[in-house]
Amino acid sequence: MKNRLRVLRAELAWSQAELAAKLGVSRQTVNAIETGKYDPSLPLAFSLAKTFKRQIEEIFEAEGSRV
Amino acid sequence: MLSMTEQTPSPNPAEAPIDPLSTHPASPFLRTEVPPAVAFASPPNVVQQVPIYSTWVVYRTQIEFGLAILAYLMVLVGSVIVVQANPQAGWRYFVVVLPVAPAGFVIWLTVRSLAKLDELQKRIQMQAFAFALGWTALITFGYGFLEGAGLPHLNWTYILPLIAVLYALGAVIFTWRYR
Repeated sequence: MKNRLRVLRAELAWSQAELAAKLGVSRQTVNAIETGKYDPSLPLAFSLAKTFKRQIEEIFEAEGSRV
Repeated sequence: MLSMTEQTPSPNPAEAPIDPLSTHPASPFLRTEVPPAVAFASPPNVVQQVPIYSTWVVYRTQIEFGLAILAYLMVLVGSVIVVQANPQAGWRYFVVVLPVAPAGFVIWLTVRSLAKLDELQKRIQMQAFAFALGWTALITFGYGFLEGAGLPHLNWTYILPLIAVLYALGAVIFTWRYR
């Protein structure tokens, strides 16, 4: 999955650690999501959308979606 | 008495009132006043307050692990000493398994610390466990066949340290993979 997490985070001038604290996860997890090495669970994706006050589709984009 | 001294100054020049230079008509010095205080706007408080937590809060897991491992070592050494002093006693079987209790406490602490991890960290731990399980199975199984071919019989207590080492190795490998 591609995501715009790094761009959205830069717009708000948040560090990875700050975003991680807001989401209640580790900085390592935020970094792995940003670099596309890990796809977050649905609850964490909703938390991200709520934190950035956006829709999930505005943050994540499915690559090679079958639908 | 007071008015007398004001009208007639003391003949001693050391006691004469000091003539400030700035009040003299020919003085090149200007009388200056203390400038009024300028009210600067206080700078914005950009320094974020870092919350200070006690050692117990920050290092609770490490302290508990350290104490549990210390308890294990103490019970282990104690039980070995007691059993060596009483090699024929009927109760020696109960004493030699006593170190299992603090070792079980270490395992309980491990399980409890796993519950505190987030989803990616749990995934990494699960992969590390799978790595440790697989390699432990292969190594012990393989050595079992080698024993059948004549290699010396090894103690079962080597298995737990083997699991621990492989688990730590797996945790390092899979943490690196998500960097």
